[in-house]
Amino acid sequence: MFPENRQRSFMNTAVLSRLAGFPLYARRAMQGTVSGRHPSPHRGSSIEFAEYRKYVAGDDPRRIDWRAWGRSDRYFVKEFEADTNLRLCLVVDTSGSMDFGSKGVSKMEYARRLAAALGHLALQQGDAVGLSCVAGGIVRNIPPRRNPSHLMHVFDVLEETTPKGPTQIDQVLHELAETVSQRALVVIISDLFVDPALLLEGFQHLRFRKHDAAVFHLLDPQELAFDFRRPMRFLDMEGGPSIFADPSEIAERYHKALESYLGGLKQVMLESAVDYHRVALDEDYEQVLVRFLIGRTHTRGVR
Amino acid sequence: MSFLEPMLLAALPLAALPVIIHLINQRRYQTIRWGAMMFVLQANRMSRGYARLRQILIMLFRILAIATLVFAVSRPLAGGWLGLAAGGRPDVTMVLVDRSPSMQETAQGMPGGKLETALARLVPTLETLGSDRFVLIESTANAARPLENPRELLRSPDLGPASASADLPGMLQTAYDYIKANKVGRTEIWIVSDLRENDWNAESGRWRALHDGFADLTQGVRFHLLAYPDSDAENLRLRVTGVRRRKAGDGIELLVSLRIEREGRQDAKESIPVQFEIDGARSEATVELVGSAADLKDHPIPLEKGRERGWGRVSIPADANPADNDYWFTFEPPVPRKTIVVAEDPAAARPIALAASIPPDPALKCEVETTTPAQAAAADWDAAALLVWSAPLPQGDAARAVESFLSRGGSALFLPTAGAGDASFLGLKYGAWSGAKGETAIESWRGDEDLLAASQSGLALPVGALAVRRYQTLIGDATPLAILKGGAPLLSRATTPAGSTYFLTTTAAAGDSSLASNGVVLYVMVQRALAQGAQALGGVRQVTAGESSRGDGVLWTRVSGAKDAISTDYRNHAGVYAAQDRLLAVNRSAAEDAARVIPAPRLAELFRGLDFSRVDERAGRLGSLIQEIWRMFLVAMITAMAAEALLCLPKLAPVRGAATS
Repeated sequence: MFPENRQRSFMNTAVLSRLAGFPLYARRAMQGTVSGRHPSPHRGSSIEFAEYRKYVAGDDPRRIDWRAWGRSDRYFVKEFEADTNLRLCLVVDTSGSMDFGSKGVSKMEYARRLAAALGHLALQQGDAVGLSCVAGGIVRNIPPRRNPSHLMHVFDVLEETTPKGPTQIDQVLHELAETVSQRALVVIISDLFVDPALLLEGFQHLRFRKHDAAVFHLLDPQELAFDFRRPMRFLDMEGGPSIFADPSEIAERYHKALESYLGGLKQVMLESAVDYHRVALDEDYEQVLVRFLIGRTHTRGVR
Repeated sequence: MSFLEPMLLAALPLAALPVIIHLINQRRYQTIRWGAMMFVLQANRMSRGYARLRQILIMLFRILAIATLVFAVSRPLAGGWLGLAAGGRPDVTMVLVDRSPSMQETAQGMPGGKLETALARLVPTLETLGSDRFVLIESTANAARPLENPRELLRSPDLGPASASADLPGMLQTAYDYIKANKVGRTEIWIVSDLRENDWNAESGRWRALHDGFADLTQGVRFHLLAYPDSDAENLRLRVTGVRRRKAGDGIELLVSLRIEREGRQDAKESIPVQFEIDGARSEATVELVGSAADLKDHPIPLEKGRERGWGRVSIPADANPADNDYWFTFEPPVPRKTIVVAEDPAAARPIALAASIPPDPALKCEVETTTPAQAAAADWDAAALLVWSAPLPQGDAARAVESFLSRGGSALFLPTAGAGDASFLGLKYGAWSGAKGETAIESWRGDEDLLAASQSGLALPVGALAVRRYQTLIGDATPLAILKGGAPLLSRATTPAGSTYFLTTTAAAGDSSLASNGVVLYVMVQRALAQGAQALGGVRQVTAGESSRGDGVLWTRVSGAKDAISTDYRNHAGVYAAQDRLLAVNRSAAEDAARVIPAPRLAELFRGLDFSRVDERAGRLGSLIQEIWRMFLVAMITAMAAEALLCLPKLAPVRGAATS
C-alpha cells in the first residue's frame, strides 16, 4: 500500500486502520469502470435480482428463464442489478485563507488529513481517487485512478501544495462539474469564504451532472468566537488590504455577519442536496470522518 | 461660576484620561494574519453610525464623570457673585454694616428690613466662603471688633436697628487703619448699605485718600457691596419742626409743628392720623397729606397744670420704614441766656454785649454781666451760657474757671486786645497785629455749619460785606470758619472736648472792623454761640442720634423709645432719656430723611481701580447669596457613570450563541 514506506504528516496509520471498518458509500448510483460495491444505474451480473423482462429478438437465449416459460408459456429474461466502483474526486481548497489555524493545526493540514484518509479508504474498496487543488482556479488536477501508486501521487501533491491565492470556489465548481465524468463522488474540503449565493449555482450544477457532492466546511474556533481583547490589525491571507479594527467594537457585527453567512450557506446546501459537514478545527478528524461515513450508510444511494 | 477650592481645578485635564487611554490602547494593537476577512470587512461596513455614536457617547460620559468629580471637589458655588472666591480663602473678612435708620425699611409683602435681610443673607455666605478672621465694623461705633464666627452677626446686640446715620468713608478708614495696623494678608471687605447719599458722603475729600490708600495696599483687598438701593415711595417720614410753650388762659399749652413727607405719589391725597404722646398722655390729630409733604403748624396740646418740663412723642401709623414714624422731643420753660463779658475796656466790647442782650424771641430773656479779667473768677459761671473775653487770654484761676465753664458745655468767644501779651489758652495765642493798611475783605467762610452757616431759608449771611481794617494773627491749631484775603483766619474754632470755643482775630471796634456797623453777622454769630451754650445749660436737650460724644449715653436712663437698645448704645437710638436732672430727646438726623441714593456711576467711580463687586438686593430676600452645589455635580457624575455603564453593557448572549452553534 505504501511502497516507499514514507511518513507523511497528514497520515496516521492507526486512524486509517480504525476507519478501515467503515465502508464509503455513495448516496446515489455511480458509474464506474469495473465492478465494485456501489450501485450502478445499469443492469448487470450481480446476484441481486432486479426484474423480469419480456424476451425480445436479439437477447441472448441463455438468459431466458425457463421456469417462468414453464409456468406462463412466455419468454422472460431475468435481469440483475449491476455493482460498480466509484470515482472519488477530492477537491481541496488551497487558497491563502486555508493556511489559518489557531489551534496548532492549519485548515490546510486538516484538509490534507481528511483528503488522505478518504482517498485511502476509497482505494481500499477499489474506487478510483482523483484530486483537484483549487484556489483562484484549478491549480492542480489529478484525474481519478484506481491503482495505489496513483494514490501516492495524490499524497505527494497534497504534501507539496501550499495555500496561496484567493478563494474563487464558486467558479471552480462549474469547471469541475463539467470536467469530471458524470456520476462521481465529489468531496470538497474548503473554508468556503465566498458569498453563499454564488455557491448555489455551482452545487446545483454538480447535482445536475448527477455527482454526489459532499462538503467539509473547515472553520477555525477563533474565526467562530472572534474573542480578541486588544485592537487588531487583520492582514488578509489572500492578499487583500489589511484592516485595523477594535474587536470590541466590531465583534457584534462580525458575529452578525458570520451568522448570516452560515445561515445562507446552510440554505444553499439544503437546496442543492449537498452532504454538508461543518468542521471546527479543534474536532478530531477521525470523529469527523466516522460521522461522515456512518451518515452515508443511512443514505446509501438507490439505483 | 466660582469655586471655593479653585486650585483643584488644575486637575481638570484629568478629564482627558479616557481619551488618552483610548489612544494608548489603539497604539497597542496586535497584528494577525486572518482568513475570514469577509466577515471583518462586513462588520466594518455594517451600521457604523450607531456603533460610532455609542463609542463617542461612552467616551463623553467617561470624560463627563471625571470632569464633574473634579468640579465637585473644587466646591462650586452658585450665585450672582462672579469671581467671588477666585483667590481662595481670605486672611481677614471685614463686614461693614450700615445701621442707619433707612436700613430698617422693608419691601412690600416681605418679612424683615434691609439690615435684617442683609445679615441673614450674609452670614451663610461668609460661613461658606470661610476666612481666618472675621472683623465687624458697624456704623455707630465705627470701630473694628473681631468676631468668633459669622453667626455672631445674627446674635450681636449691637447690630440691631439704630437711629444714627452711618459714615461710610469713616468706616472704610477704620477698615484701612485695621489692615495697616494688623498687617493682615488678603482681605475681603463686605459693605452692607442702602447707598444713601448722606451716609456715603461721596463728595467728601476723604474718598480720594481712602482710594489711594487701598490702591497702595499690596496684600489685595476685595470689596463686596451688598446694596439695597430701592426705597418705598409710599413711605412717610415724620419730623417735628418746632415745639413751643405758650400761656393759654390760666394754663400752658404746647405748640407742636411737624412735617410729614413722602417720595412718590405727588398728586395723591391722604389723611394721616398723627398720635401725640406727652409724658404718656395720648392725643390724636389728622394731617391731610397732598402731594409729597404736609405741615402741621403749632398744633396746640394743653399741658397739665404745674408741668414745667417734660417729653413728648409724635407717631404716624406703621409703614415701610418703622424708623421714621416716631419723633421725640422735650420741652421746658425757656432758660435765661446769660452772657459774661470779660473786658479790660467795656466800651470796646459794648457792640458784642449789645448783640448778646437782645433776644431773638420775645419769650426769651437775655442778660449780660460785664466784668474785668481780675474779677472773672468770681463771676456767676453756673448761670452763664456765653463768655465773651475781650482781654489778654485767661491765666491761673480765671483760666480754670473758663475751662470748667467750657467742659460744662458753655460757649466762649475770645477777642484780641491791644496788649495781648504772650498768654495762650487751649494751645492758641494771638500774634502780632497786622500792619496792613486799608481794608481786608473776607475771602471765604463756612456757610454750611457753625456760627456763620446760612439761615434756615438758605440765605447766606452777609459775611462777604464785612471789612476788616486791622486783625491779629492766631497761632496754634484751630478750624478756621472765616478766612481773610491772604489766608489769615478771621474766626476760628478751637478743638475742645466739650463746649464751643471761638477766636475772633479782630474786634468790633469801628477802627478794627465793620462788625459793629454791619451788625447782622455779629448779632447772628453771638446769638448762635449763646444758643449753643444755653442748650447745654438747659434742663432739656435735643440730640441727633450718634452725634453726642462717645462717653455720653452711658449714664442715661431710658424714658421712652429704644426698647431694644443696650444702655451703652442709647446715644444711637431715638428716644427720650434722662441724664441726672436733664431730659434728652434723641432723633435721627435731618439728612437721613433725604431718600437720595448715590448713583451707580458715582459709586463705581469711588471704587475705580479697586477690586469691587456690587450686588443689588431687595429687603426680604432671605437665604444665602451663594450656595455650594457640589451635590449637583456628584449626581451628574453618577448619572454619567450609569449612562456609561448602560452603553457598555454587552448585548445578551443568544445572538452570539446562534452564531457559534
